Amino acid sequence: MSDAIVIKEVSFSYNGPPVLEHVNLTVPSGEFLGLVGPNGSGKSTLLKLILGVLKPQMGEITLFGKTPEQGRGRIGYMPQIAQFARDFPISVEETVLLGRLGKTSAFGFYRKRDKEIALQAMREVEVENLKDRPIGTLSGGQLQRVLIARALAGEPDLLILDEPTANIDMRKEEDIFDLLQKLNERVTIIVVSHDIGFISKYIHRVACLNRTLQVHKTTEITNDILQGLYEHPVHLVAHQHPPYEGR
Amino acid sequence: MEFFNALSEYSFMRYALVAGLLSSIACGIVGTFVVVKRISYLAGGIAHSIIGGVGFAYFLEFSPVIGALGAAVAFSLLLGFVSLRLKEYEDTVISALWSLGMAVGILFLSKTPGYNMDLMHFLFGSILVIGDSDLMLILGLDVLVIAVVLLFYKQFMAVSFDEEFARLRGVNVERFYLLFLMLVGLTVVLFIKIVGVILVIALLTLPAAIAGHYVRSMNKMMMMAVLCGMVFTSSGLYASYTYDFPSGAMIVVVAGVTYLLSLAGCAVMRRTPLR
Repeated sequence: MSDAIVIKEVSFSYNGPPVLEHVNLTVPSGEFLGLVGPNGSGKSTLLKLILGVLKPQMGEITLFGKTPEQGRGRIGYMPQIAQFARDFPISVEETVLLGRLGKTSAFGFYRKRDKEIALQAMREVEVENLKDRPIGTLSGGQLQRVLIARALAGEPDLLILDEPTANIDMRKEEDIFDLLQKLNERVTIIVVSHDIGFISKYIHRVACLNRTLQVHKTTEITNDILQGLYEHPVHLVAHQHPPYEGR
Repeated sequence: MEFFNALSEYSFMRYALVAGLLSSIACGIVGTFVVVKRISYLAGGIAHSIIGGVGFAYFLEFSPVIGALGAAVAFSLLLGFVSLRLKEYEDTVISALWSLGMAVGILFLSKTPGYNMDLMHFLFGSILVIGDSDLMLILGLDVLVIAVVLLFYKQFMAVSFDEEFARLRGVNVERFYLLFLMLVGLTVVLFIKIVGVILVIALLTLPAAIAGHYVRSMNKMMMMAVLCGMVFTSSGLYASYTYDFPSGAMIVVVAGVTYLLSLAGCAVMRRTPLR
């Protein structure tokens, strides 16, 4: 069994006080990990380090045993919403096809195989019927699904989703996590979220970040841990799920 | 009717018409990216600074076309670099390079005998004196621009839409951005004879912007922008011949008025225009 991500003793700062200190994390293949932490806790920085956009000043990160630059082709990344103009004249299918970049020929148009894989990804997240719609006409929930399809089109071994349910209502949020749970049968998933109470019924372990990182099995999460993380009272919603045994 | 008689009678009229139609193709394609990526200001900077290269070429007595092509490549790289590295004061630096390029060009031209006429041609176009060699240049640049866009369509699309994602998928965002700006520069050169460098930005952006009022896909926008460009250059030429106005300015007036009417139409119909 190979590890999707290994982070060893990573520290990082942007010309100032440290944003991350001595972070250690190993994500085995097949895991569904939640990454939580208050605003400014370094979540985005840690993601950028994993994706190889930033380089750690200390420590080491490997993706599937390689450097982030070499290994990130195997990651399907779903950014937080609003990284692009919603009125951009691009259809759902064209958006999903962008996920094929790096897997398809560098020259000319997409191949038949790319379109088949994109269609499969759209089918999987149930947006196939929206295929020809411009993305500007989609609802928040539909757009999130399209962005998941775009991440899946690259046939990733690891999905990283940054606040996948930030702008959608509760019921749609459950739909998205049900979908992720299904995808977790074949890909490793990391979800960044601020809402630990909700996601803890889906994830196996939760990594709590606030400059330093602590990892807990979801069965072990208590109000005390959360309170320590957020430094103010947090209400943990009671929930039940089978304990995670690992694979 | 007189216009059509003139077309059959005078070869310079046919050359003008064909040049306008050919340029509209590259213009519609490149212009669509300029509009959706929202870099008309940057494109304007590239267009105007090309005068520097033209003046330099006149002064040293080599072909102004070479000067324009050289300046197109050099200034698109320079301005592109500024836009990538100096994001915070991008607009100020672009303004500086924009006017500096023009001013240097004018200084060079002023030291070149008989510059006045040539300067006017470069600034405002001279579609009626287009010859075989100009037409070949337009055709050549047209083919080059279209070929490069088709070859890297996926990457250009990805970089215009979502830079961050493109980078993570292994696309060299900076390289494709600079390559695209070079295409903008070449498209401007292609238009110098037709409307001149001052007015070229109108033809680069307006057809695509009008298309953006009605369609919501890049392909359709490009096709519609090409058609709009063709209609504007031909009808502008028609109006300039019929009412005896300068052709470059007439073409831009037709394009500009159509754009404003279309924008007003969108406001009335409560559609959201792209630009």
